[in-house]
Amino acid sequence: MKLLIVDDSALIRSRISRILDDPRLNLIQVAGMAKNGMEAITMFLQHMPELVTMDITMPEMDGIDCTEKMITIRPDCNILVISALSDKATALKALKKGARGFLYKPFSDEDLIAAFLELTSP
Amino acid sequence: MNNNIDEKDILTFVDAVSGFFFQVTQEKVEIKAAYLTEGGMVPSTYDLTSYITLSGDYVGRIYFSAPRSMVAHLLMAMGEQNRLEDRLLDATGEIANTISGNARKHFGETMEVSVPTTQATDANWLKSVVPPHSYVILVKWKQYRASVVVDIQRVV
Repeated sequence: MKLLIVDDSALIRSRISRILDDPRLNLIQVAGMAKNGMEAITMFLQHMPELVTMDITMPEMDGIDCTEKMITIRPDCNILVISALSDKATALKALKKGARGFLYKPFSDEDLIAAFLELTSP
Repeated sequence: MNNNIDEKDILTFVDAVSGFFFQVTQEKVEIKAAYLTEGGMVPSTYDLTSYITLSGDYVGRIYFSAPRSMVAHLLMAMGEQNRLEDRLLDATGEIANTISGNARKHFGETMEVSVPTTQATDANWLKSVVPPHSYVILVKWKQYRASVVVDIQRVV
């Protein structure tokens, strides 16, 4: 299962990638990492991943618009929004655009593993 | 309180700072002080400072300033091997972003937050940019001290 990591923070991209070393997530492979929404769309078209982690506050194109575009391209894509924006309205907006899950920053390794397992379970 | 902002609003930022450190390190951060900067009591700036610009129903900035050694130690606690300057700056921005974003649980989506602007700073930088009547939260984690400065006004 191909994963695209989208976050403007190199620290968060690196952390998500490192958490994927957990043996429970061995079916997930990182296909690419993007630092803004525009770059993410280019990589999405290139790799057509089944799974995406999506930040919201990013330069050039935010994660809400990026989610909407990706779902238009591939409606069965599992998009997990990972954001510090903790208001309910933002989470609902992301879910309405097609995201399948929402994880608040700061998150623990186990929080992310649980979110991935829930999204990828049959 | 000034700026139409009350104590509950400021406690939101205290909670966000505490929550960040606890989630990342599993240790409680000590809140050394929280006060209004009347009389020019702006704290010294540490090595690295990041700020988030507010818009929408609020204007102002949220600043996070910390010494390099503290940010490096936080990265170590997060299991991050790369502790070069770029990664330290990135982590400082991510902390400011997380504190500000978490505050939207209280303020709502009409408090719009920018991406972080992060830079290496000298000891007087905050004094040159922070307006009077901002709120300062001083924190201590392990042997390190850092500051969060909240310059926020409701515009509607």
